[in-house]
Amino acid sequence: MDLRAGDSWGLLACLCTVLWHLPAVPALNRTGDPGPGPSIQKTYDLTRYLEHQLRSLAGTYLNYLGPPFNEPDFNPPRLGAETLPRATVDPDVWRSLNDKLRLTQNYEAYSHLLCYLRGLNRQAATAELRRSLAHFCTSLQGLLGSIAGVMAALGYPLPQPLPGTEPTWAPGPAHSNFLQKMDDFWLLKELQTWLWRSAKDFNRLKKKMQPSAAAVTLRLEAHGF
Amino acid sequence: MLTLWTRVVQAAFIFLTTESIVPPEKPKNLNCIVNEEKNMMCQWDPGRKTYLETNYTLKSEWATEKFADCKAQRDTPNSCTLDYSPVYFVNIEVWVEAENALGNITSDHINFDPIDKVKPNPPHNLSVRSSEELSSILKLAWINPSIKSFLRLKYSIQYRTKDASTWSQIPPEDTSSTRSSFTVQDLKPFTEYVFRIRCMKEDGKGFWSDWSEEASGITYEARPSKEPSFWYKIDPSHTHGYRPVKLIWKTLPPFEANGKILDYEVTLTRWKSHFQNYRVNDTKLTVNLTNDRYIATLTARNLVGRSDASVLTIPACDFRAAHPVMDLKAFPKDNKLWVEWTAPTESVNKYILEWCVLSDKSPCIPDWQQEDGTVHLTYLRGNLMESKCYLITVTPVYADGPGSPESVRAYLKQAAPSKGPTVRTKKVGKNEAVLEWDQLPVDVQNGFIRNYTILYKTAFGNETAVNVDSSHTEYTLSSLTSDTLYMVRMAAYTDEGGMYGPDFTFTTPKFAQGEIEAIVVPVCLAFLLTTLLGVLFCFNKRDLIKKHIWPNVPDPSKSHIAQWSPHTPLRHNFNSKDQMYSDGNFTDVSVVEIEVNDKKPFPEDLKSMDLFKKEKNSTEGHSSGIGGSSCMSSSRPSISSGDENESGQNTLSTVQYSTVVHSGYRHQVPPVQVFSRSESTQPLLDSEERPEDLQLVDNVDSGDGVLPRQQYFKQNCSQHETSQDISHFERPKQVSSVNEEDFVRLKQQQISDHISQSCGSEQMKMFQEISTAAVFGPGTEGEVERFETVEMEAAIDEGMPKSYLPQTVRQGGYVPQ
Repeated sequence: MDLRAGDSWGLLACLCTVLWHLPAVPALNRTGDPGPGPSIQKTYDLTRYLEHQLRSLAGTYLNYLGPPFNEPDFNPPRLGAETLPRATVDPDVWRSLNDKLRLTQNYEAYSHLLCYLRGLNRQAATAELRRSLAHFCTSLQGLLGSIAGVMAALGYPLPQPLPGTEPTWAPGPAHSNFLQKMDDFWLLKELQTWLWRSAKDFNRLKKKMQPSAAAVTLRLEAHGF
Repeated sequence: MLTLWTRVVQAAFIFLTTESIVPPEKPKNLNCIVNEEKNMMCQWDPGRKTYLETNYTLKSEWATEKFADCKAQRDTPNSCTLDYSPVYFVNIEVWVEAENALGNITSDHINFDPIDKVKPNPPHNLSVRSSEELSSILKLAWINPSIKSFLRLKYSIQYRTKDASTWSQIPPEDTSSTRSSFTVQDLKPFTEYVFRIRCMKEDGKGFWSDWSEEASGITYEARPSKEPSFWYKIDPSHTHGYRPVKLIWKTLPPFEANGKILDYEVTLTRWKSHFQNYRVNDTKLTVNLTNDRYIATLTARNLVGRSDASVLTIPACDFRAAHPVMDLKAFPKDNKLWVEWTAPTESVNKYILEWCVLSDKSPCIPDWQQEDGTVHLTYLRGNLMESKCYLITVTPVYADGPGSPESVRAYLKQAAPSKGPTVRTKKVGKNEAVLEWDQLPVDVQNGFIRNYTILYKTAFGNETAVNVDSSHTEYTLSSLTSDTLYMVRMAAYTDEGGMYGPDFTFTTPKFAQGEIEAIVVPVCLAFLLTTLLGVLFCFNKRDLIKKHIWPNVPDPSKSHIAQWSPHTPLRHNFNSKDQMYSDGNFTDVSVVEIEVNDKKPFPEDLKSMDLFKKEKNSTEGHSSGIGGSSCMSSSRPSISSGDENESGQNTLSTVQYSTVVHSGYRHQVPPVQVFSRSESTQPLLDSEERPEDLQLVDNVDSGDGVLPRQQYFKQNCSQHETSQDISHFERPKQVSSVNEEDFVRLKQQQISDHISQSCGSEQMKMFQEISTAAVFGPGTEGEVERFETVEMEAAIDEGMPKSYLPQTVRQGGYVPQ
């Protein structure tokens, strides 16, 4: 595009016009359809809220399990918890995940973890612990709904429900009490890892949503020309 | 039948609508609050009362899940509390269902994120820490509520000084983000502050948390921010060239001390280089100074540093203060005693205000305060009492020393006097009374006495009130009734009211002072005057009175026979007595001068006889002594006793009441103080009672009578005794060479001459008397006039024998002898 000297005045006038109309742009004043951004933000906040809840719940529950599970540097081998969805992933792989896959993995993981957690709830000894576990389960249920909402907002289909509502990893009679505690420990640990990962996931999604809004503004500017 | 049913249904409807037994109204204004980590409470407006058992159920659900219902308590049908905390960041839908026997109804659904309705727990463990570097800051730290881990917060921080009751707010924009500490600035040094904090969701949605527990801290010390107030007092009893000067200062208030004052440093400078330093813990210092000028400086010291120096010039002994403040006023306002003045034209460094309670019972113990040189209105910062009179003195302080003080009196709050004035009478008159009273002592005045009210009344009369200005201490009640008991009482009034003093009674007298005297004295005077006039009248009219009262007793010794004897006893030794009679004493006397023709054995005898005559003449006007009758006596017979020519005449006219004979008769030893009085009851000769008549006759008859009259006038005018004496010697020569008629003419001329020469009223009087004899006037002469005169005389003395007088005249002035 060949710009002449006289065009600079016209460009300035256009810029001023655009700036004048900026408050009227719906994408900026957010008075119109909010899009998936707020729900992503909420989901992100919810993961942090769950993380906060789990911190206190885990402390209480590990104390309930007793030593060595409540020791800070206790790091038992992952024996019977192979069926738990694994949150840890190679960073490059994680970065290469698209939004749909990222959201789907989160949804599937929390669906599984919720099933396991409900099993844990039944075993909890004290009422207070049971109440905390029940509240956490409800919150996790809310997270699942929130992720489903984001996926629906982004137009992604929900993954197929798992065969059977009962978790495949359930405390069986074969397990010793210690091994069961080991499973509980890993369940809480995996939950925490997933919550960390989800926070990162949704933070990434959140950041991805904000540039799209900026792109809309730029398109509007181009349209103004 | 159908009609009946319709009526019943209508009646039931009316009953239900009017008697308020109704189905529940739709709950409105549903709102929820989420208490962090505790519960969620929702409130709504249940609408009108149903008068039926109505259940309100709070329902909540997610899109995917329903939660347990919350049934409202019967006593609180407008709220319900879920016993669990809802899941934040997941929208929840809430509504209320109301149901009773008549129906059920559901409120509008509200959908919200519980995090937007959250009321966080307050921050806790608030702590306050001071900074040694900065005395104006305090550092706050706290622990946020757990919600902070997933929620951004903003804060509200309030603080106050420990003694204050109102809170100051940290600007909200400074605390609009999540934090766990804050530094409060612009605080006062060495001051204890109290803080509290609360928080809420950063975006303002939701509710403020409760206030945290209060925490307090003290800012660090700073150097005293102001110099102490500094003043001095000089003890007037200085001796030996020294004067005790008491330097006084005020402790700095905490906001100026900025720390604990460790001590004060006083420096006294005489001349330029002579320093004296004192370090004092007290707030006063007494030093003995010479009569020179001193500069005193004062600094206060605390842990951090020293204050600025307070400088005071103590002038030399001979310094004369001047330039006082003007228009000094003091007035109470807002329960403070304000003092206002106009600054002098000179530049004032500072003002010293001193005040004390004026009292008769206790001495004036002044309190004081210092004000900057720019101040002209301030209030007294002290514990002032109401109803006390304060003497306020303002002294401007100049660079070279204090100026003249000015004083004013004021009350913080006036009250009515505690005692009334005691009134008493100063003077009580018949119709007025002067009341007086003492000024009330200042201790009982309780305010400025504005006026007095005097109430007075009689025992049965109405009370009369009189207002008197406060400057008076006495008042005159007028128009009082005499001889009446009055009761007086008196009140003194301040601005706030009055107080009556004790009653006082007095009785007005019946008579005014001096009234009795005013009556008695004039009466006495009138009486005296009357008496005096009576006496004078008697004196003047003695002859007339004598004629009526006194019996005319002839003197046997002066009988014609005695007179005719060739030798009448000579009178001597009258020289001394002669002095007694001054010529001026003659008032109404006609003098008969008798020419002595017979030969005296010695000139001395003649002289003595003349003197004696004169003495006798004078005696005529006064008392002749013994008889007690001053106005009736006549000594003429004794005078004429030695004269043969006159003897016959004298015999006729002489009446001797008593005679004092001082010398012997013809060289005989005289009997001692012979008082001879005739016991005869023989009728008295008429002529003896009238010497004037006799004189006239004598003058005409003998031709001797004219000269004595002349002489008498001369005496009156000259008042000279020597000339009188000389005239006595000259008379015989003059008379001897003229006849009777010539004498008459001469007499008239000389009388008129003497009238023209007369020199006073006395002479005029004399003239009038004499003119009685000379009534015939200058142009008449001869026997006719003389006869008329005699007739006139005879007319006065009615009833008296006068037969011999016409004879005498007719005989041409010769006495038939």
